[in-house]
Amino acid sequence: MNELKENLKAQIIEQLNLEDLTTADIQDDANLFSDDGLGLDSIDALEFIVLLESEYGIKIADPSEGRDIFQSVNSLAAYIEKNR
Amino acid sequence: MIVADCYIASKGSFANGQKVHALDDGEENWLKTLYDSGKYDYPKFHKMDNLSKMAFLGTELIAKYILPEITENDELQLVFANSNSSAQTDLKFIDSYQNQGNPSPSLFVYTLPNIVTGELSIRHKWFGENIFFINERFDASFFIHQTNFAFKRGNKLCLCAWVDTTMNPSEECFLFLLSAENSAEISRERSAEMHEELTNRINNYRNE
Repeated sequence: MNELKENLKAQIIEQLNLEDLTTADIQDDANLFSDDGLGLDSIDALEFIVLLESEYGIKIADPSEGRDIFQSVNSLAAYIEKNR
Repeated sequence: MIVADCYIASKGSFANGQKVHALDDGEENWLKTLYDSGKYDYPKFHKMDNLSKMAFLGTELIAKYILPEITENDELQLVFANSNSSAQTDLKFIDSYQNQGNPSPSLFVYTLPNIVTGELSIRHKWFGENIFFINERFDASFFIHQTNFAFKRGNKLCLCAWVDTTMNPSEECFLFLLSAENSAEISRERSAEMHEELTNRINNYRNE
């Protein structure tokens, strides 16, 4: 699980063009969409959908699930573990 | 009247003629270094393209340290210009779909230069007018001319910026705040003085 979280952080940085950041800058439980976390927005949610499909072969059938799935690295990793 | 100015480039940040933060030659992540040095708490900075990052850092210098009262000011107009539009990000976006196989939405949103003024307006709650021009080079007279229009329409302040990212290291942001004082028009004599003053200021920063 820890390896998956590290991979996810690296993929988030690359996919979202967060070139300034390192994986150490992203906390496992930080809310990615709040200003206390990474301040991501709906455009970035689209990137997550692409990321899950291209890297993990997971298609999100119901986009309304995204809010909970993409909340943090922890929630993303749990969803991938459960569905891949 | 020129109220304040600042300059952001890979050699450091400067405000009102003084060095604020010097950077080492060839520092790769210099925009993040300037962000960290200013202790700005705004995670969205890391998502921005370099054009927006430079304008953000310049505006923060003025809004946080020199003139905090410009925040939430509806009588302030933004007049921005550069010569390369958003070409740096445009090329990255092209690469994302031609070579990486996926058109990146997070790059696509920065494929217009006026996204810069939107980012700053969100950050500082500016609901007034803004405009972004593409010019061949910095021309102080052009900014003064546009500022005159802004003042005639009732704006009291004009935040002007020459902010350019190019394909080489000569990226720069020269940002200056002009005030109408108690006049709705800048006189011809005053325009000539301001032209000389602004041209001297940017040249001094470039030669620093």
